Amino acid sequence: MASSATVADSPAPPNPDNIQPFFVIHKAFSRKSKKKSPRAGKAKRKIDLSPLVSKNAKKADEESVEECDSMRMEYFGIVWSKIETTIKNVLRDMNINVFSDIHHWVRESFNTIRSSGPPSLTEATCSFPFVKDTTLKKLFTGLVLTKNMEFVDDLLTFEDLGLHLKSHGCHVANLSSLDFLAKNGIGGCLRSLLRQFLMVSLDAADISILASWYREHDKYNNPVVIIIDDMERCCGSILSDFILMLSEWAIKIPVILIMGISTMLDAPSNALTSNALQHLFPCKFILGTPAERMDAVVAAVLVGQPSTFSISHKVAAFMRNYFVSQDGTLTSFVRALKIACVQHFYVEPLSFVLRGFLLQEDCQCLYDAAKYGNIRLLDILCEALNPELYNSRGTDAQAESEKDSGRSPSNGCFMDRQYPSSRKDGFINKVVRIVKDLPRSQLYNLLKSWEERTADIIEIHEDVKELLFTLKSEEHKRQKQRSTSVSKRHISRAQLNMERDSQVTNEKAATLIDRMIRDYMHPLECVPFHEIICFKNVDKLQLALVGDPRRRIQVDLLESHKILQCNCCNRKGSTLLPSMHDTSIMYNLAQEHGDLINLLDWYQSFKSVVLCPGVKRKRKSKQKCKDMNEPQKQSEILNLVYNRARYCRAVTELQITGLLRMPSKRRPDFAQRVAFGL
Amino acid sequence: MMAMQETVTSGLSKRAARCSSSATTRSNTVENRKPCKAHSLTIDELVFGREPLSLDDLLSSFPARTSQILELLHLFGPLNSPMLPVFVYGGASTGKTSVTLQILRHLNRPFVYSSCRTCYSARILFESILNQLLLHTKNEANGYSSIRRCERPSDFVNMLREALVDTINNLKGRLGKSKAGCANGRMIYLVFDSLELVQEWDKNSILLPFLFNLYDILKMPDIGLIFISSCSPDAYYSNMGYLDPIPLYFPEYTEDDIRQIFLRNQANRKLYSCFFDVVLRPFCRVTRRLDELSTAFSSLFKKYCEPLSDPMVAPNEEIKRRLFGHIQPHIAQALNEVFQVASQPSLEANRETQGRGIIRKPGSCGNLDEIDFHMSTSGKYLLISAFLASRNPATLDASLFDPKGGSDSRKRKRKASGKSLENKEIAEQDLLMKGPGTFPLERLLAIFQCITSVAEDFLDEEEQGDDLSRVETGSILPMSDVLLQLSSLCNANFIIKGGSCPLEGTTRYRSTVSEELALKVARSLKFPLSKYLYRQ
Repeated sequence: MASSATVADSPAPPNPDNIQPFFVIHKAFSRKSKKKSPRAGKAKRKIDLSPLVSKNAKKADEESVEECDSMRMEYFGIVWSKIETTIKNVLRDMNINVFSDIHHWVRESFNTIRSSGPPSLTEATCSFPFVKDTTLKKLFTGLVLTKNMEFVDDLLTFEDLGLHLKSHGCHVANLSSLDFLAKNGIGGCLRSLLRQFLMVSLDAADISILASWYREHDKYNNPVVIIIDDMERCCGSILSDFILMLSEWAIKIPVILIMGISTMLDAPSNALTSNALQHLFPCKFILGTPAERMDAVVAAVLVGQPSTFSISHKVAAFMRNYFVSQDGTLTSFVRALKIACVQHFYVEPLSFVLRGFLLQEDCQCLYDAAKYGNIRLLDILCEALNPELYNSRGTDAQAESEKDSGRSPSNGCFMDRQYPSSRKDGFINKVVRIVKDLPRSQLYNLLKSWEERTADIIEIHEDVKELLFTLKSEEHKRQKQRSTSVSKRHISRAQLNMERDSQVTNEKAATLIDRMIRDYMHPLECVPFHEIICFKNVDKLQLALVGDPRRRIQVDLLESHKILQCNCCNRKGSTLLPSMHDTSIMYNLAQEHGDLINLLDWYQSFKSVVLCPGVKRKRKSKQKCKDMNEPQKQSEILNLVYNRARYCRAVTELQITGLLRMPSKRRPDFAQRVAFGL
Repeated sequence: MMAMQETVTSGLSKRAARCSSSATTRSNTVENRKPCKAHSLTIDELVFGREPLSLDDLLSSFPARTSQILELLHLFGPLNSPMLPVFVYGGASTGKTSVTLQILRHLNRPFVYSSCRTCYSARILFESILNQLLLHTKNEANGYSSIRRCERPSDFVNMLREALVDTINNLKGRLGKSKAGCANGRMIYLVFDSLELVQEWDKNSILLPFLFNLYDILKMPDIGLIFISSCSPDAYYSNMGYLDPIPLYFPEYTEDDIRQIFLRNQANRKLYSCFFDVVLRPFCRVTRRLDELSTAFSSLFKKYCEPLSDPMVAPNEEIKRRLFGHIQPHIAQALNEVFQVASQPSLEANRETQGRGIIRKPGSCGNLDEIDFHMSTSGKYLLISAFLASRNPATLDASLFDPKGGSDSRKRKRKASGKSLENKEIAEQDLLMKGPGTFPLERLLAIFQCITSVAEDFLDEEEQGDDLSRVETGSILPMSDVLLQLSSLCNANFIIKGGSCPLEGTTRYRSTVSEELALKVARSLKFPLSKYLYRQ
């Protein structure tokens, strides 16, 4: 089980044939994955058995390989750290506005709480409520909508938010749903709260301690901010209790709550009691949507900077589809990018030689236009990277639709049908159409941004300038006409003229971008030697990212010898050998049963496999049971018990892997297989 | 309960006096509050506040509570007279806590207050009482620890007796030289607030009988016990052999009471009274809790005053009519808000933060046709599968999800119409009472597989479909991380997992999404959900 899991985790294919050339990669990987999962260590030993032979054989080669390897490693480090910092910066920039909004609101709320001056020392620590105003007794609560059902992306966001507020003097504690577990009760979250504020852990956590702490140092000029990452996952009743308790201490401790909400705004009213809701004074903040963040990251990493690493069309399409239909988190996107990067640097022999390269520049131009039509950058990028489309575009513009329809379907489950088959439906074409229909002011803004982007390409730059100039002069003309013309008919005719003119300008802009696309936007895969910087292997990426652990486990259990590669189980055909792993034997045997497996039958067949060579002897010995002396009998019984224990362990392992369900009360001698073809 | 009465009713003048006095000395006090200043507490810390409160002020600050105040004063008795335990009870937000505390303030007698919400365990309750009695403050120097460690009731009795004897001796020593602001008399009162919560956290239910018995156990005439609870005495008393405390009931406010209370601190009473003519009746039908009402009214009143240029104007008939027309559409919405969407940013917050880039939500949940958060396509399909599994009876799965379905819908209808109307109604009610049904994981995944394949077929038929949707559905082949998606759906509270051992495999799930949301999700996928919903 452990081995299969590791193979599924590790990005290299489990196929032994493939392992050979990349075993150096493997080594590096298992070192890496060791950190990730504790199980990997155990499995590694087993896998290492195979390369051991080859290690001795080509020791000389190895040294040079090692050298290359370290260079690759080093270069990967450089490239990836660059990409990583870019991503971080992009995300920080995206959040910074919301953060400052939140900070502003925190200060405002604090001022409202403090509008009647800070309470005196005795007031602040007294146990009874002294209330002044209902609105003051309310808890100011910021609801931060993360706009993504998956929560992973925002863990860092809330950490950053905490740091941001801390840097502005607030006292901040970050709580998560783990602090609001039903089994720990209200004490759990108070304890963690006090641990973060007071830096001491107390066995009797009491909110009055927080009140006396707050009065102690120079804290009373700053609010106490409590950030709860994931409100939905908290136990509702505990959170309600917590809110009510905080409201009892409302003025004494100026607490401001910030709660992250990943689904809808009515989540608090679903989870909390009405009594607790009554004490909240909410305000809403919205973080960037995952798609927006994705676009920002793509723009910065894959399109914006001249990087030494890029992805092919298929990889981009895979990643896009994975994002849309499977995971939907930026975390997994970044992880996919990293895996692609790692694999690229290890697999491509020359990848580390080149530094600095040019990429398509005017994808950005397209994106600027696409923003007006709500089209995602990743979609555009995918299409821009498609070499087939480019080729068809290049050969004959007229015949392209025919060609496209005859295009052979691409392989892989992620490749099917995700592309509009003809260029007419393409995203790029959509963008061109958008440019054609853009209103005047927006067109002006768009051209302005193009002007900036195309500063390097003189030819285009001139054209953009010219267009801008005509646009401006038209504007002048129009204003003049408006001021001079009096009669209504005149105006209408003038307007008609104007419209025609602007139509011409839009037309020009559209031709311009069309030309840009044709002349300057070459898909990477059509550039010679693109292999050096471009990662193309979708299958590997898919295997590494998706893993498909459930199927993997089943396949590996059925073919465990292929992974273990031990000499003893080199079976030919489909015979089960007693030297195989028990769980593997059991799973193989289970294939013969239907959904329900009779436990006794299963045990019998298991026994017969395990005792395969000695079946006859055993039967004999059974008959001679009475003749056996005491130690023999003892060992026989021990053997039996041992086999049963092995059987039970194998069943339990299958159960833990989720392939088997324990016998129900209704049918106590049948176990049920859990297989959905997944 | 943390009653709101005082917030609304307490004489603003006195409060203001108190605040201003503290405001004038604020600069000094801030100076004094330097780190770890050894602050020696005196016995006077046990009284409410320094400013005395006359009986008239007390009565006038609680308009509808005169009889209760007089009764309670009677129970407290004159100075230094022993008092039997009192049990103050009544609904939430009826002024129990405020009245009790203000009476103690008026009498200027020392007391120890502990709320069973803040003190959420026996140990914290005991230690909180002892800390207050022994004038102990937690600070950095003593590691924020209590003065004594006390977990068991027996220990508590001993320590409490010691502490009480000390305190009472202390009080007695000062008898005769009492002056304004000093504690009065030698009686000491223990106030236990939110007593109903003890039943929640005290699982062994030994604490409540112990507390009720405390008076008999201590046998000290100088102690008065006051229990405050929102549950009636019937919820607590059992024949345990102790003297029942004297019950004192705080009834719910009537409409007139509420009007009086709210009118007390209004600047423009006439205008507010007009406002009340409009809103009070409908709201009182929903709730009479002052805290809920004051939240609703504060924002509504702002809305009411919006058309007025001068908020101090005395309203005439014409203005009244205009304002009524203005406020009327908002009333129904506000009525709902008291209970449901209390998390909406109030108007005030809106105005304060306008132009700061904070996007606020309009009255309803925004665009009705879109879900406003990101969810992956397979997650959406899983959500729909769970919704179907919860709504449809399991026996119909086969006919609904047959690969050659479509004709089945007619069959279903015939079946349904065959039933008698009465049965149908009963079944409908049943469904309503039971809520969404539970389902095992296998059924969920089976439905998931069915509807993803159906969706693909469906989109194949509709070749004209949008590119985007085709792109999206292109790859919802069932994959292993469907289980991952399931766990994220559980985390988002869209699916509830029945609590049982995961190894047993008998975990059952239940979908909690509303039909509205499910339809929205289905629309975003162009999935014909209504075709698969079984209706009785």
